Amino acid sequence: MSRRAVVGRGLRLRWWLGEWGPLAWLGLLLVLCLGMGELEGPFRWIEPDSREVLYARSSFLALLGQHVLVVGLASLAAVMIGVGGAIAVTRPFGRDFLPLVSQLASIGQTFPPVAVLALAVPVLGFGTLPIIVALLLYGLLPIVRNTLAGIQGIDPGVHEAARGMGMTRRQILLQVELPLAAPVILAGVRTSVTVNVATAAIGATVGASNLGDPIISGIVNGNTAYVLQGAMLIGLLAITVDSAFERVQRRLVQRV
Amino acid sequence: MIELFGVTKHFGEEVAVDGISLRVAKGELCVLVGTSGCGKSTTLRMINRLIEHTAGEIHLDGQPVRTFDEVTLRRRIGYVIQNTGLFPHWTVARNIGLVPRLLKWPRQRVRERVEELMALLGLPMAEFADKYPRQLSGGQAQRVGVARALAADPEILLMDEPFGALDPITREALQLELLDLQARLHKTIVFVTHDMDEALRLADRLVVMRQGRIVQQGAPVELLHAPADEFVASLLGGDTRGLKEAALTRVRDRMLPLGPRLLAHERVAVDAPLSQALSLMLWHRVDRLTVVDDEDIPIGELSLRRLVGSKT
Repeated sequence: MSRRAVVGRGLRLRWWLGEWGPLAWLGLLLVLCLGMGELEGPFRWIEPDSREVLYARSSFLALLGQHVLVVGLASLAAVMIGVGGAIAVTRPFGRDFLPLVSQLASIGQTFPPVAVLALAVPVLGFGTLPIIVALLLYGLLPIVRNTLAGIQGIDPGVHEAARGMGMTRRQILLQVELPLAAPVILAGVRTSVTVNVATAAIGATVGASNLGDPIISGIVNGNTAYVLQGAMLIGLLAITVDSAFERVQRRLVQRV
Repeated sequence: MIELFGVTKHFGEEVAVDGISLRVAKGELCVLVGTSGCGKSTTLRMINRLIEHTAGEIHLDGQPVRTFDEVTLRRRIGYVIQNTGLFPHWTVARNIGLVPRLLKWPRQRVRERVEELMALLGLPMAEFADKYPRQLSGGQAQRVGVARALAADPEILLMDEPFGALDPITREALQLELLDLQARLHKTIVFVTHDMDEALRLADRLVVMRQGRIVQQGAPVELLHAPADEFVASLLGGDTRGLKEAALTRVRDRMLPLGPRLLAHERVAVDAPLSQALSLMLWHRVDRLTVVDDEDIPIGELSLRRLVGSKT
């Protein structure tokens, strides 16, 4: 897989992203979280037969906080394990595991996130922890795949020169390999985090409390307004996160 | 000084280099030449231990390379490769300063050294220091590659087909620059190429390799006059090697002082190779040229008979 192809996929979505894009989206997200009540009119129009049209079991801000926390923790762990693992299997001592890890990372991508959760519950039980673990496992794959692609996509001549000039392995990793692979790695992290923002919502089915709650509750009670409220906030969160990554990524690509 | 004693390299079953012995004196430019897969690159890379030799000994100034720490060893040896291997995320100046920084030179000294090298290789600081490798032409990039290799002033320079990817005109310009640099710096250079013209032009000592062995070594002219076997003869150009030899000899060596005869109309520079003089004669259908110096002032003449070195 070429470096350009991996990076390019993210960049094509540039249309929603101006200079202040990420902040604007974040602002919209917070305003909607705090001011959902102002939209009672439209929601009542959508759902005229229900007594309640605003999800009120928990504040949207608290749900957002939970959501961000869960995705954040899972992603942080996924980045550390994923990047660390991919680095390990591209070192001489870990080279034997490279084909295995590389194949797992590709095959794992075809696994649907719902199935990950379905499998996680019997093993880890209900609640927030199984969600974090499931998101971590699912989020690992794009990170591992892209880190491998990033490191392996470096011109062999550059590597050869780095060794020939007398750089230590550590210097090669920190000064050459990681900076050169950074845009591709970041593209993987971006995919991972954005997908997990959406996937975390499914966690509400197994007892985690986050922005998926209104959606699940709306589906169970046949209340479309609840579903819309959850979906709008998750959508906005995903766009905010994605546009923020886009900004950082564009900086990195410019630099290299 | 670099010495190889019966050096052998196995890659699994395959023997890449088969018991070669070689001595490259201090200040000598030694060119390893041969067809691809003959083991010349492997030999080069064993000197800075990018590849470890299987058997035999490699000595630098009398000390086995195995006794050096490999990182320390490589920082003492300049290394230039075909596709430059410049770091694409670093500026030209930062690329050149790599080894001095690895050696923890003070900042100021690194900066001065980079400046000095850029001047030496004809890369004006103001124009190139802050450029990135992708903004350079092939020739400029390889100049930076050479500057980077020279940065910590190593005594030894290893060059692995450094000009192989360049167009013929740039290649020739860089070859001449290398000769010019070598005349000033007197490094001990091992240079790998498969281009025989390049080898003949650059080499103090030419080493012809085939299937992991040294077939013949010596000064270029010696090899041209007495190739060891058919293979060396064909590598040196078969029946056209007379022209290759002519390319190594200067007009200066064959010309006669100006005689009583009228000046010939066509002129040739005194430092031009004989091959150029021959070409001029063929082109203009004449058998006599006027030899001129740098300022185009006639200083001698060259006849076809003198050119071919005929005794009569």
